[in-house]
Amino acid sequence: MVHNKTRRINHGYLFVAPFIIGFLLFGLYPVYNTLSLSFTDTTLMKADASFIGLKNFDRLFHDKTFVTAITNTWELWIMNFIPQIGIAMLLAVWFTDVRLKIKAGGIWRMLFYMPNLLMPAAIAALYFSLFSYYGPVNQFMVRSGFIPEAIDFLRNKEITRAIVVFIQWWMWYGQTTILLMAAMTSISISLYEAAVIDGAGSLKMFRYITLPLIKPVLIYVLVTSLVGGMQMFDIPMLLTDGRGSPANAILTNNIMMYMRFRSSQGHIGAASTIGVMVFIMTTFVALLIFYLLREKHDDFSGKKI
Amino acid sequence: MKKVSLIVSILVMFSMLLAACAPAAEQPAAQQPAADQPAAEQPAVEQPAAEQPAAQPPASGKTVLNVWSFTNEIMTMAIAFEKSHPDVDVVYTMIPMTNGEYQTKLMATLGTADVPDVVALEASFVKSYVESDFLADLGELLPYAQEMEVYPFVTDVGTHEGVIKAYAYQATPGALFYRRSLAKEYFGTDDPEEMQKILDDMDKYLAAAAVVKEKSGGNTYMVASNGDFMNLFYANRDQPWVVDDTLTVDPMVNKMVETVKAFRDNGYEARATQWQEGWFAGMNDTLTDAAGSPKKIFSYFLPTWGLPYVLAPNATSADGSSTTVGDWGVITGPLPYQWGGTWLGVMKDSKKMDLAKEFIRFCTLDEENLTNWATGVYTNEYLKAIDPSVPEGQSQAAGDFVGSQVVVKKITSSFDDSEMSAFLGGQNSYGGFAEAAPNVSARLFQGSDDAIQRALNDPLNSYLEGTITLDEMWSLWKDAVRNEFPELIIP
Repeated sequence: MVHNKTRRINHGYLFVAPFIIGFLLFGLYPVYNTLSLSFTDTTLMKADASFIGLKNFDRLFHDKTFVTAITNTWELWIMNFIPQIGIAMLLAVWFTDVRLKIKAGGIWRMLFYMPNLLMPAAIAALYFSLFSYYGPVNQFMVRSGFIPEAIDFLRNKEITRAIVVFIQWWMWYGQTTILLMAAMTSISISLYEAAVIDGAGSLKMFRYITLPLIKPVLIYVLVTSLVGGMQMFDIPMLLTDGRGSPANAILTNNIMMYMRFRSSQGHIGAASTIGVMVFIMTTFVALLIFYLLREKHDDFSGKKI
Repeated sequence: MKKVSLIVSILVMFSMLLAACAPAAEQPAAQQPAADQPAAEQPAVEQPAAEQPAAQPPASGKTVLNVWSFTNEIMTMAIAFEKSHPDVDVVYTMIPMTNGEYQTKLMATLGTADVPDVVALEASFVKSYVESDFLADLGELLPYAQEMEVYPFVTDVGTHEGVIKAYAYQATPGALFYRRSLAKEYFGTDDPEEMQKILDDMDKYLAAAAVVKEKSGGNTYMVASNGDFMNLFYANRDQPWVVDDTLTVDPMVNKMVETVKAFRDNGYEARATQWQEGWFAGMNDTLTDAAGSPKKIFSYFLPTWGLPYVLAPNATSADGSSTTVGDWGVITGPLPYQWGGTWLGVMKDSKKMDLAKEFIRFCTLDEENLTNWATGVYTNEYLKAIDPSVPEGQSQAAGDFVGSQVVVKKITSSFDDSEMSAFLGGQNSYGGFAEAAPNVSARLFQGSDDAIQRALNDPLNSYLEGTITLDEMWSLWKDAVRNEFPELIIP
């Protein structure tokens, strides 16, 4: 009966209504607010604010530091993400492989995930004191003869970047592994058995069975990692002086935004501008990922699209 | 069954509403800004402590005064204030400023109803508040300041365009602390007057550094960090950083860059970073280089509060095996300067203006309070007698250098046998600071100073490291300043 059907459909809308209202209020409104702030010259120290149109954006695009921030953020994320996905995939394949039968899988999963539970602040402080000029790493390397004299690691751009990338990788590879493991265990074993009978090797099985079937989870991991990477903030902020030193090597988008926010003026108009740019970049690349990894449906006439 | 499922689905709906209201779920590689953490190169003031909410809930019938600060120092004065004003309840909020939390939170209250009545303002951001419209005019307290003969540089900082908006209870002239035993070894004397002659200006200081290196065989550094020099040179400029909305680089800044480069290239400086392990290790002779050979530091540039809060606590190593207590002397050094300090101001939107002004007068311009403060009358027992809920350890040790010349002259001799004087090998610490204070000038302070100066730290260190050239250093610095102050004209 039509009457019952519409009532059931209405129940569905009612069900999700609270979440949607909550999201609109607490998720969408701040985005709108940031956008409108970016068109003003609001600061925390001034009582009045005026609409200045695109002047904030104009200044931002002429700022070399902004270009540095964007390239840094992309580089740091990509350098962190590729090993992360690679190793996570490898571990996930090993741990879900029926033939390998690795024991104590639960304990391994816990060990992989543990770095994620640590506070970024504590980790950053730890690595900072490890690699300081008078710190343990220098002492160890000099006394065992690896380097002739102490190096100020955190004054060296490449080394500082490498440290940030390593910390990020170390903190997040566990999570990615677990997600991929969950995705892989949901693939029916009979597919692999059929492939073995057909004589497929592990590489072929991985490429033609595993990868396509975990694509939804892969998209999820890619997009969430992208969002997080674009907003990388706590580790680069806390590892050195919070300004992206040395020489802006680890200055990311969010650090730049925070620097403007906590500047002596409290320039939230200019800070929101960066927020808007991050939003646009992330949306664009996320949509690109969705497009590239979309489900391509075979045409029934036999042609592949 | 239908009723049960209806109730269950309503409960699930509400839980979804709460889930929607919760902050965004954790995402892989998503980060959230962390909370407070130590280890920064700021002129961190005194003991870092966890953030504490208001100390006492307001008692009924009493007027409430909201005071915000970034240390627990002023809580001592607040309790003393309650003794003489029993009908006032001071609600004290302490927020640390190790990574700028205090400044950020204070800025967030401006213009709202949560604004505190009295605010403590540290030297790095006091001027930007004084230059803004947020502080009330405290000109009516000026006669008290004149009566107390407050040091001119203290009132200069609190004044903007002729209107005075902040007063300070302490003066923070800078000084040079040197190791007596090393001075005897390399210069044949450890007498402060003689040392002042040897280190009377920067050229002599540089020459002395060469002597120290040569006579110690490279095992003693003249100074621990290039950061030690910054306040020195910045305080002796002729021009402020911003003139007619344009960024100006005073020749003294160029001289500073040359000096630190000379010190680095010649190995007179230990390459430690201020407020980090190496810098502190030099204070108690546990500094070793990476290969394990011990190194010593000859001198530290520290202000008045540096003695009781930085040098004295760190003069003995953690395991007690190495100590330099009694081996220090203090002189004015090559250049007079000023570092840090806490000012007190009243927020313009405060609803208890008269009470707030009286509080400021008590803290900064009351002779009895200043004397008690500086001579250590405010012990934990004294404070507990006024308010039993005072936490353990809340007290003010003797030795803080106050801003009133009247009080300083009165109490200097009482420090002849103090603990701090014993630390300085018998030299009266207060007397040493009193000599340094009159030459200090703070005319050129501007609100944007701290940000501009801080922006130079990283490029300067990269330049000293040799990874960038001098021109690149200036260029990087200008970019950072431009980022911070979009309205500034930068040549």
